[in-house]
Amino acid sequence: MSRALGALLLCAASGLAQAQAAPEALEWLRKIHQATQKLSYTGVFVYQQGGRTETSRITRRADAGGGAEKLEVLDGTPREILRTQDEIRCYLPESQVVKVDQRRDQRGFPSLLPEQVNALAEHYAIDTGGVQRIAGYDCQVLQLTPRDNLRYGYQLWADLRTGMLLKARAFDAKGETVEQFTFTQLDIGSVPRGRLRPSRAARGWRVEQAGVAPADLSRSGWSMSADLPGFRKIVEIRRMLRDAQPVGQVVYSDGLAAVSVFIEPLAGRSEAARLGLATMGALNVYTREVADHLVTVVGEAPAGSVQRIGNTVEYHRPQ
Amino acid sequence: MKSKISALMDGELDAGELHEPLSALHQDPGARDAWRTYHLISDALQGRALVRTDCLSRVAARLAQEPVPVAAQPAAVRPPERARWFVPSALAASLAAVALVGWVAFAPPAGNAPAPLARAPAPVVAQAERAQEPARVPLTSASRDYLLAHQAFSPRNGLLGMAPYVRSVSSDAGAKKP
Repeated sequence: MSRALGALLLCAASGLAQAQAAPEALEWLRKIHQATQKLSYTGVFVYQQGGRTETSRITRRADAGGGAEKLEVLDGTPREILRTQDEIRCYLPESQVVKVDQRRDQRGFPSLLPEQVNALAEHYAIDTGGVQRIAGYDCQVLQLTPRDNLRYGYQLWADLRTGMLLKARAFDAKGETVEQFTFTQLDIGSVPRGRLRPSRAARGWRVEQAGVAPADLSRSGWSMSADLPGFRKIVEIRRMLRDAQPVGQVVYSDGLAAVSVFIEPLAGRSEAARLGLATMGALNVYTREVADHLVTVVGEAPAGSVQRIGNTVEYHRPQ
Repeated sequence: MKSKISALMDGELDAGELHEPLSALHQDPGARDAWRTYHLISDALQGRALVRTDCLSRVAARLAQEPVPVAAQPAAVRPPERARWFVPSALAASLAAVALVGWVAFAPPAGNAPAPLARAPAPVVAQAERAQEPARVPLTSASRDYLLAHQAFSPRNGLLGMAPYVRSVSSDAGAKKP
């Protein structure tokens, strides 16, 4: 009964939502995207999910070489992540580990490209709202409401002058917040190069290289599909996670939300697998076992969508 | 009547004698209490795990908050004809089974089990239901690796810059050792 009602409401909602996105709203998305590429800034933001909050500092320096960015967690253990054009380095002091993800293959690197913004309107109703003040900046409010219940909705607050995103809220089908990023302090302007160095030498720490390489998992007998309207495969690679065995990773995206499928052999794992569904903010992590392999699906999508992609994974011994 | 219920429980009645105690169980709360009490005694004598009756309502309330599974429903396994008298619906059976599993998994130390108690009906439908409703598990330190590996490919980076990476180094994602 409730399912029939839900389907009915969904039909009604998608019928109402056929209108094209406001051109003004699409222009704002492009402006936000350019701001993340072109601005230098440093600021403190709060991440909220599931009744918890965590404060972090983010510093970005834009330059001709693609820029560099640093994220420092200010609560608890001082973990940090540095991103340059070539690699991402994640410093974890409690385990004395540096995780390094080389970004050699940029061709398939998905970013929200300006031409993709139009395609987003197919799955989200994109509207502008009023102007609200966040951390001292007057911000344009934007709302991306999904046209189905397969993805989360987003509300964005962007600085009127620069397009810099000051606040972002992800919400579920009931309109309830699943996670929120809010800058509490932000300085836009030049950032000295020295601010982008790691805070510690990390001498003697273990370095874990991701060693990303293109892959074709179907040749090893694996099949899977996006199974969700608007989602398509954007990346298929092999990489290291932490154990000695390589892990397959396939990423699907609708242009805004992304879902990764990881496949790794159960044999030789250093930690016991926990099968089931875990959630953090807008991220759902669904783990199941297929043919002596661990299948882990990570996505910024509702649990049902992440499960649906995870349940398409099959193994057939190659002939 | 109680002796007939006891005999029914022990499988000592002929087909012709089944109607009377089964009707009583269907209509008479006193008979159902007797049925539960006999199972409780039987379980206690055999040293099996005990299930609190109010556990069912709490599990039902928790299940109501779970997201509706998207996968197609597999055909429910029908309980045998005789058992259906005591299993009002397939849902009740699966709830009871989940209650049993939940209780055993989080059972307090022996000797601490409160009364009143009852035994859960046979978990006929539970396996099909469990297959599509995954267990809720906490994020472990291993989860951090997946979140980090995933984040590099999220188009949301194009709007939020590095901010979403905070999830892959959040203390929530790595503090708990598996």
